[in-house]
Amino acid sequence: MTEQRKVKIRVDHLTKKFGDLTVLDDVSFDVKEGEFLCIVGPTGCGKTTFLNSVTKLYDITAGQILVNDEEVDLKKHNISYIFQEFSAMPWLTIEQNVGFGLDIKKVPKDRKKELVDEMLEIVGLADFRNFYPQQVSTSMNQRIGIARAFATKPEILLMDEPYGQLDIDLRFKLEDELIKLWKKTGTTVLFITHNVEEAVYLSEHIMVLTNKPCHVKTVIENTLPRPRDVMSLEFVKMRDHVTEMIKWW
Amino acid sequence: MLERKAKMWQKIAAAAVSFALLILIWQLAAMNPQFSQVMPGPFAVLQKFFVSFVEPIGKNVMLQHMLITLSRWAAGFIAATILGIALGLTMGWYRGFEAFMRPLFELVRPIPTLAWIPLVILWCGIGELAKYVLVFIGAFMSIVQNAYHGAKSVDRTIVNAARMLGCNDRQMFFTIVIPASVPAISAGLQIGVASAWSSVVAAELVRSSSGVGWIVVTGQQNNNMTQILVGILVIAVIGLLLALLIRRVEDVLCRWNKRGR
Repeated sequence: MTEQRKVKIRVDHLTKKFGDLTVLDDVSFDVKEGEFLCIVGPTGCGKTTFLNSVTKLYDITAGQILVNDEEVDLKKHNISYIFQEFSAMPWLTIEQNVGFGLDIKKVPKDRKKELVDEMLEIVGLADFRNFYPQQVSTSMNQRIGIARAFATKPEILLMDEPYGQLDIDLRFKLEDELIKLWKKTGTTVLFITHNVEEAVYLSEHIMVLTNKPCHVKTVIENTLPRPRDVMSLEFVKMRDHVTEMIKWW
Repeated sequence: MLERKAKMWQKIAAAAVSFALLILIWQLAAMNPQFSQVMPGPFAVLQKFFVSFVEPIGKNVMLQHMLITLSRWAAGFIAATILGIALGLTMGWYRGFEAFMRPLFELVRPIPTLAWIPLVILWCGIGELAKYVLVFIGAFMSIVQNAYHGAKSVDRTIVNAARMLGCNDRQMFFTIVIPASVPAISAGLQIGVASAWSSVVAAELVRSSSGVGWIVVTGQQNNNMTQILVGILVIAVIGLLLALLIRRVEDVLCRWNKRGR
């Protein structure tokens, strides 16, 4: 089945330097349509820089990034990004935040209401729709970002350690929600994390990056059946294998 | 809730005591025969204040003087608000415009409003226009400065998030930069209100035939100490009320910026 999917994102000899510091060194790989790819690597290896380059938030030094065989273009390609930091607009209510991307894309009112209601329900913020982000907890703020990104039904979703600051219950819950949303929408997901268990739980493929200057060490296929059990032997084996690959010492 | 109310009453009581003390000391000083020649007591001033609403000072009664000064203030302040916010935000957001405009603005900004008076009178005459222009100058600088810093310090993560959600440049300016800058703009308006108010009074002190500043300056010319103090009192009270008004506007505009309400 995997073979039939076409290539969604092609990263071709991507290099990114900040002055003399090479952060990404000649990175090449493909992501298939509808794939769930987790990206793991040592702390500070340039994972965030990597996503920011893919989205053109940073100018890249060399190489090419293609989406559907075209140069990536935020106006043409519907790409959503869930940030590590809070990115809710503090002057908008939670409901308005979730609908922001839809307003920008000029989605009709009825459709917008439908999508926003659906997302608020999924992330458990329906009762807080009229609150401002500063009035709710840290984890709720992160959920605003998730709901806002999914509301636009993106073809590509980039997530940069989105659950790093959440308590563990909520993380499990939102991981399951993410899997559900991913299956339902067929979105291509690039998910950065430093949490190996999370990567093994979520992914179809796990890409391991090396320390700076960062390049792709290996891509591990993860075919564990879903729903996955974090206590099962196969799961633990896979987790240890990935952990082994990340070690750079 | 109850505790907050008690705290509020404590504050009001403290303020009442400090006002009472001021009036008491003033009254005691005025009872000294030497001092009373240059300083009428508080009750004489208050009496004169109330009488002036019925008996005109110059050609106008007090309410007319107030309205004249306030309308001069409003004309200059509103123009400064509109143009100041527009210039400040544009300068803070667009790098090219900043490079072009900011050095000029930084050169002009430190010039005190008072230093503009001779030039403005020569350019605009001694009529109303000169007063509007001076009020404008007084408020404009701090409004521009604060709006500029507001636009300059918009949270990058939010800008990136908005860009990812598909904002074009125009949408970015109107849906992100402007609302994100509202708290800074409000701070600028607070300062602007006060400096516009002092500018209008200064303009009236220099050249006018009506308004609260004129009341003070004619009081000086006629050696009428009571009239001077009445004028100063009115200037203080209106200045205070304007500041409160703008703070109220800020509370409404920045509801989202208050934690835990």
